[in-house]
This record gives sequence, structure tokens and C-alpha cells, in this order.
Amino acid sequence: MIKLHRQSVMGIFAAGLGGILSFIAIPRWVATPANVPNIVLSPLFWPYTLAGLCVLAGLGLIWVGLHSNERFNEDEGEVSGAFARVFFFSLIAIAYVWALPVLGMVWASVLAFAATAFLLKSDYPKLALVCAVLFPVVLYGFFAHVAGVAIPQGEFVRLP
Amino acid sequence: MSIFDNLVAGLGLVANFEAFLSLFIGVIIGTIGGAVPGMSVTMTVALTLPFTFAMTPITGILLLLGVYKGGVFGGSIPAILIKTPGTPASSATVMDGYPMAEKGEAGRALGMALWASCTADLISNLSLILFAGFLASFALSFRPPEFFTLILFSLTIISGVSGKSMLRGAFSAVMGLLLATVGLDLVYGTNRFTFGDPNLMGGLNFIAVLIGLFAIPEILSVVWKPGDAHDRTRGLGKNWVTFAEYKRSFKSIVRGSVIGVVLGSIPGIGAAPSAFLSYSEARRKSPKKENFGKGEIEGVAAAEAGNNGVAGATLIPLLSLGIPGDVITAIIIGAFMIHGLQPGPMMFVTNADLIYGLFIGLIVSSVFLFFIGSAAIRVFKFVADVPRSILFPSILVLCVYGVFAVNNNIFDVGVMFAMGALGFVMLRNDIPAAPFLIAYILGPMLEDNFRQAMLMSGGSPWILVSSPITWVFWGLTALTVTAIVRAGIKAGRNAVQKAVTEEG
Repeated sequence: MIKLHRQSVMGIFAAGLGGILSFIAIPRWVATPANVPNIVLSPLFWPYTLAGLCVLAGLGLIWVGLHSNERFNEDEGEVSGAFARVFFFSLIAIAYVWALPVLGMVWASVLAFAATAFLLKSDYPKLALVCAVLFPVVLYGFFAHVAGVAIPQGEFVRLP
Repeated sequence: MSIFDNLVAGLGLVANFEAFLSLFIGVIIGTIGGAVPGMSVTMTVALTLPFTFAMTPITGILLLLGVYKGGVFGGSIPAILIKTPGTPASSATVMDGYPMAEKGEAGRALGMALWASCTADLISNLSLILFAGFLASFALSFRPPEFFTLILFSLTIISGVSGKSMLRGAFSAVMGLLLATVGLDLVYGTNRFTFGDPNLMGGLNFIAVLIGLFAIPEILSVVWKPGDAHDRTRGLGKNWVTFAEYKRSFKSIVRGSVIGVVLGSIPGIGAAPSAFLSYSEARRKSPKKENFGKGEIEGVAAAEAGNNGVAGATLIPLLSLGIPGDVITAIIIGAFMIHGLQPGPMMFVTNADLIYGLFIGLIVSSVFLFFIGSAAIRVFKFVADVPRSILFPSILVLCVYGVFAVNNNIFDVGVMFAMGALGFVMLRNDIPAAPFLIAYILGPMLEDNFRQAMLMSGGSPWILVSSPITWVFWGLTALTVTAIVRAGIKAGRNAVQKAVTEEG
């Protein structure tokens, strides 16, 4: 099986992105008035130019990848369990955004802090728990009472 | 108004307790941020940005400039004490700094790093004061075609020198330009990639994009490879740097500062090449060149001078042309924008007091850096011992609070995480994030100037080559592309030759 260099894979992605933009995304999601006097002034001109540049960069990357022996810093699989941890962090991030209006920013942050510290295999679990509670509360104090930001309070426990 | 009048107006704006306190706190935060292994000056400046919303423009911008100045020096502390550069630019400091620490002379190396940093910082700030106004008065005559070619040149050089390959840099910049098209069209007000969502009509929040690109990928990198351990911190030792040693290294410090000023004022080059060039020049000219790499104090001085000489000079294109020279100045431009200010030649006319207030603040920052740096060297051990498993969850929470605070909008937090994921993919594939962010900032300006030029000419592209200034920028762009492509081909050939030699 032919093993493509990572630059070539990037190039295929870039050229593909340019193609999708040109044939699907720009015609569908960029609106333009019917009476534009000159093509270069149209709202479509700039996105199409960039899509073209994306394809060019992609083709360049494919060509360079075919002739390159550059080694990237780390190969996949070098760090055990890395993909699983990144996946769990993504879940934490999604849950964090979802919990902001429901639990409030402070309590959502407490949970996100604790979960991330656990994911990072903290050698100091007690300190992590203390910080997980204190740090979001201190930030709440600053942003809500000094900067005057309306921090989401959530539906359960409200802070002064 | 004369320079003297402007300086008096600037002093009137900056001579208050609040402004100096914010600068002082900024230098402390920056020194700590630069010194903590795993953090970076960029991330520290990005995370400090949300705290400036409630401040006056001068106080907020001085806070960020303080963080920048402190961070550049702070990076040298872990470079010398634990062989882990706090910033990429401090990598050159490791070469002689760490061998000195191994010999029990860390205090001497750090002292010289501080003295060289403060001297280079001062020279860089003075260059900024001398050249920014001159460049701005020249740029006042620029029309849309000149600005278009200037921005194009800046993006080309940033794409070319930010990463390991120009094509990856160019791809990154194109993605940044594409992201900048999201929102309402500048001229007709029609929708572009808004998908009917009102949150996207004003474009993506700049702070969410930058924090997502520069802070979240660092957290993900720690998630990828967790652990609280780092190398043993070396003791400071009994010796301290002497004035005679400073005098002996003075030529290298001044040379390094000048290299820093020249390279820093060109958009995109940054502090790391400057530090390495300054170091290699010092080694070439030194009578003790055989000691370099084994713990030569002049090597530390040269590397730090080259590194810090950039800090003031990167503000020259920012303040006089409105072009951020690197990622940190791109973040600082965000602070200007939050307060409704647009850096560029017109700012020297409309907000001269603010500009000169910043100049005065920058000079004072060199003095603050000297005192705060001296204290930081002694307390570094406590900073270095902050566990990563506590530090990075704190950064995560700080990012969410900071991004939400811009518009009181949870959508922006989602954008930040999405940008973080993109930034991590880019990091893993050696695609530099700097061209992406700078293109995202300059994208609307590039398009706006292009369309204005086309409106002026009735659609004729010849207007883009209509004046000698545009010829200069087109020529510089062509020269940059040629130089970078040639360097890339040469590096590729060398790599192939090396591989063949190894196989043989």
C-alpha cells in the first residue's frame, strides 16, 4: 500500500476544501445582489479568490509531500492513550458549554476544572479539588463585581 | 504638534498611579507567565486581554505591554535553571545559560540575562520612539492600492517565515483569510457563510478565535502528554554578575539589540531568529569563541539582547502602519480594537497623546523589568513547582470566563473550543497558527483596500501597480517569495543528501 507523506495528506485536504468551497459552500452560502456592476466588486469575488488560493496551496503541498522526507515531531501512537484523553477532553468541553446556562458558569467551571485535573492524572488531587472550587469563585468575584460582566448564574444555586 | 508637545500630552495621560500600577502588574504577570514551563508569552498576553475590558485604553494597553516585556525576559529563567526555554526565543539562551547553571553559576547567568535584557529593551524602545513617528508620517500618503500591497507583502513574509514550510504557512494564512469572510459583506451587507445564524453576522469574535488558537491547543498538548514532573531546578550559586563582565559583553549586547530592532521591525520574523543570529555573531566576533556552548557569559548576553531587542521594534509596524509584526502584537491590536482604536498612521494624528503615553510607559517598563526580574530570579523555584495538572485546568476556566466576558455570549465559548480543536490539529501537523491569526485580523483590511482600489479605478487592476510605493511592495513580495522558495529547495536538497549519507 502506498503510504502518503503527511504533507500530501494536508495538500489533499486543502485542495478538497478549496473544491468544496468553490462548488458547494460559496454558491450556497454567499449571497450577492443581482446588479453588481463589476465582478471584482461582487461579494463572491473574494471567497472565490481564496478558494482558488486554497486549491493552489493544496496542490503545492501534495507535490512537496511526494518529494519530501521531512520527519514530523511526533508520530501517532508515540504517547499511549493520547487519543482517548483528547476524546474525553472534547467531551468535557462539550459538557462545559452545555452546562454554562444550566448550572451557571461557576459550578460548570468547578466541574470542568476537577474533570480536567483528573484527566491530567494530577499528583495533587486534594489541591486540585480546592483550586477547582476556589478559582472559579475568585474569577466570578472579579468579572461580576469588578468588571461588571453578567456571569450566567444557572438554574440551581445562585451566587451573590 | 512637535514631538515635545506630544510627549507632554502623553505624560499627562500616563502620569498617574493607575497607569504605572497596571504596567508594574503587567511586568510581574509576564515574568511569571514566561517563567512557568508550558505557558508562553503569547498565551499569557491572550489570557490577560479580557482583564483590560474594564480599563481605560492607556491602562489596558500598558498592562498588556508590561506582560509582553516581562514574558520575553521570564522565558530565560527556566531556560537557564531547568534547560526548558519558557519561550522559543529563549532557546538560544539555553546554549550557554544551562552549562553555567551546571557549573553552579546560574545566578551569574541570570544576572547577565537580566542586564542584557533591560539594555536591549531600552534600545528597542528608543528605536520605536525614533522610527515609528517617521514611518507613520510617510504612511500618511498611502492610498488603498499602497495599503493593499503592504498588507499582501506582510502576509507573504509572515506565511513564509513563521513555520517550517512556506506552503503550510500560506495554507494557514488562506484559512485565516477565509474565516475573516464570515459575516456581512463589507460593501453590500449581504450574508457570507452566516448559515442564517445571527451570531455569525458580525463575524467570529476575535478574542474567541485568538484564545482558542493559542491557549486551548496548549491545554490539549498537556492532555496528549500529561504529567507533573520536570527537570530539577538548579541552585543560583554564590557568584553574581559583575560590572566588568557587563562591560566586556557590552558590544555583543548592543549588536544583539540592533539585530533585534532590525528583525523585529520586519513583520513575521520574531524573536527566535534574532536571538540565534545575535548569538552566532557574538561567537564569530569573540576572542573566546571556543568557550561558546560550554558556559560563556557573553553568549547568554548576546542571546538575551537579540531576544529582547525585538520587543519594542515589533510595535513599529503595529503603531505606524497598523500591521501586527507577530502574534503578540496581533493580540495587542485586539486591545486597541476593543477600545475603538485603530492603530496606523492616522493614530499619530488623532491619538498622539496615547501613542506618546505608550512610549513613556515602555521606557518605564525597562526600569520595572530590572527590579521585577531581579526578584523573579530568586523566587523562580516556587513558580516552576506549580503542577501542570493545576495550572492547565486553571487556564481552561480562565479562557471560558475571559471569552464570555467580551460579549456576554456563550456562543463565543463554543467558537473558542472549535478554534482550539483546529489549532491543535494545526499544531500536530506543524502548520503555524501565527499566519492564520494575523491573516484573520488583516483579512477585512486587505479585502476592503482591494475593493476601494477597484472602486477608484472602475475595476481596472492597473491601479495596484500605479505608484512607486506599490512597485516597492510588489518587488519586496516577489523577493521574499523567491528567497523563501530557494531556501526551502536548498534545505530539501541538504536533507536528501544527509539521508543518503546516513544510509551509505
